[in-house]
Amino acid sequence: MAQLKCPICGGQVSVEDDALPGELVEHECGAQLEVFKKNETLSLRLAEEVGEDWGE
Amino acid sequence: MIVVKAGGRVIKQARDKVLESIGRLGEKVILVHGGGDQVTEVSKRMGVEPTFVTSPNGIRSRYTSMEELEVYVMVMGMLNKFMTAYLIKAGKRAFGMTGVDGPTLLAERKKKIVIIDERGKKRIIDGGYTGKVVQVRTESITSILEGVDVVVMSPIAVDKEEGLPLNVDGDQAAFSIASALKAESLVLLTDVEGVLMEGKVVSHLDVSQASELSSKIGPGMNRKLMMAAESVKAGVKRVTISSGLVNDPVAEAINGRGTVIE
Repeated sequence: MAQLKCPICGGQVSVEDDALPGELVEHECGAQLEVFKKNETLSLRLAEEVGEDWGE
Repeated sequence: MIVVKAGGRVIKQARDKVLESIGRLGEKVILVHGGGDQVTEVSKRMGVEPTFVTSPNGIRSRYTSMEELEVYVMVMGMLNKFMTAYLIKAGKRAFGMTGVDGPTLLAERKKKIVIIDERGKKRIIDGGYTGKVVQVRTESITSILEGVDVVVMSPIAVDKEEGLPLNVDGDQAAFSIASALKAESLVLLTDVEGVLMEGKVVSHLDVSQASELSSKIGPGMNRKLMMAAESVKAGVKRVTISSGLVNDPVAEAINGRGTVIE
């Protein structure tokens, strides 16, 4: 497990080592975080709001 | 003016019945057609394996890559022209088009979507080439309808920002067109008899009943009900959800078969 920092509250967030970019993690502070890769290392950012609407 | 939406399964199982029924009408008609299953079939034949994704709410949907968008536009265009030709043979003046033409349907692309991936994790991915209709330019439809009896419309819109064709939901396209034109009637032909509650068809709903019921019924029909309520609010006189598999399905729907929302 990788230990990352929540960009919102600064608290610790555990993320699986094989997490993929785009994966969403709910933190205990209430923030929905998105895993992304920065210089080949996993990092977290606040996930943008994405609705659900699909084509035919 | 009547807007008719015939879903892909209805087109597959009862296309000629629907077209003959439209051929008998004395009013101007806009026919919006589906065709998702046919796109899947042709994709497979062409070696383009369709990709499906599951949303966090459990809704499984086609994922439209650029390669699939190309097949989608091709197959929808093919269905459109065969239906237009059938109507012309039946004595109607018919005009086949997509929402790109004009342009008529302008959409916004979903740049990102949330899926549940193969490992069961929630993940944000690129949204592919699906969109949501945000504007209907009615002048292209109304001017074409001055010269013809039926406009056959494929659910393809143009991306407002990027200018690319987009796969849009046929129901949403039909609701948007009917609302923008304040159509007298919107008929949604499906492969079921109407909105079912405890195994029975609900024959009539007002706008608030339709909105309320939409939260209690299954996916697919819930969206239809929600959009039906919105369309009536926007000026459509009557929305009917009815079977497209019966004889003369459009007349049956106009005469009150299925579920009427008004």
